[in-house]
Amino acid sequence: MERVKTGIPGLDEMLRGGFLPQTANLVEGAPGTGKTTLGMQFIYHGITACDEPGLILTFEEFPQQYYNDAANFGWDFRRLEREGKLRVMMTSPEVSRADLEQVGGRLERLVRQMGVKRVLVDSLSHFERLSEDPAEMRAIVYGFINGLKREGLTAVLTRENAALIGENDAADDSLGFLVDSYILLRYVEIESAIHKALLVLKMRGSDHDKGIRRFEITERGLEVRAPFEGQEGILSGSPRRMVDSFVQAFVRR
Amino acid sequence: MEGQDMELDLTGRLMADMDPQLLDFLQHKVNTFVKWDLVRFFHDNPHTTDTAENIARYAGRSVDTIRVELAELARAGLLEESRLGEMTVYSLTADAATRDLLARFVAASDDRQFRVKAIYHIIRGTR
Repeated sequence: MERVKTGIPGLDEMLRGGFLPQTANLVEGAPGTGKTTLGMQFIYHGITACDEPGLILTFEEFPQQYYNDAANFGWDFRRLEREGKLRVMMTSPEVSRADLEQVGGRLERLVRQMGVKRVLVDSLSHFERLSEDPAEMRAIVYGFINGLKREGLTAVLTRENAALIGENDAADDSLGFLVDSYILLRYVEIESAIHKALLVLKMRGSDHDKGIRRFEITERGLEVRAPFEGQEGILSGSPRRMVDSFVQAFVRR
Repeated sequence: MEGQDMELDLTGRLMADMDPQLLDFLQHKVNTFVKWDLVRFFHDNPHTTDTAENIARYAGRSVDTIRVELAELARAGLLEESRLGEMTVYSLTADAATRDLLARFVAASDDRQFRVKAIYHIIRGTR
């Protein structure tokens, strides 16, 4: 089956070639883990390697922030905007949602005019202020995601997780059911150093790598490396060496 | 020279060496500091479409103030006001000439001398 490649070394292999077309893909993590960088790389790769114009919907940061952040990786977003291959649009969840529900809305016109194929929504967390009722909130996000799919877009949606390390906070996990794939970025502490871990929690309609892999943000963007080996309890944020657990469980003292 | 005469003289000098189009822009379109902030915001975010409430949040101003100023900017032709469902939303005008004038204003306001003159005109206009 055709795949939508992220262009992120290591991640496409974990996704068995990339995201499935016209799907919603959630990237969740604590501040600074690289959610937006992953999303920008997905957009940049689409434009430059796959001839797939991209759209960035930002609900908080000004476009200038994206131009600057992208420039740090050598991605010239301003030029891509001038060339009509990228649009960075600052808006709000309620306006973009209402717009997607309109026939001939701004987003629909933009998608048609530019031939947009990929979208980064940064971030889904901002929908949380639209309703305190989890059921209503779920319906709102579901409608928004369906609107993106109706436009034929493959979406990366970021979501903040306040927990810097260790267990997730009590965020509404029902959002995980609404998306087609769910990628988790985590900080983990190993031998007094902080590392970053990436896990593909789910991928609807496809096999995927179940391993927890180390990743780094380099001058070229995200690079997913080898799995953590000889460690367990990675997602707890404080993994143990497996040999220590074995000794603790089986070796008589 | 009397105080009023001095002010007229200063006004005359400040107006004399300002681009007439930008002067008109200041006198009739961007005649408050809030409007100045708003047009700068839309210049920096030309693809934004949003409600007065959200624009107030981005601009760090009260929504009551912003609502009035946005409506005036729309009447002046700098912004477009439209309905989206039950919401009133604002976006930058698509008119190329107006966008060009705004870009010239923003570029000019990077110059300190222009800013001083523009501030003077706005303060004078609000009295």
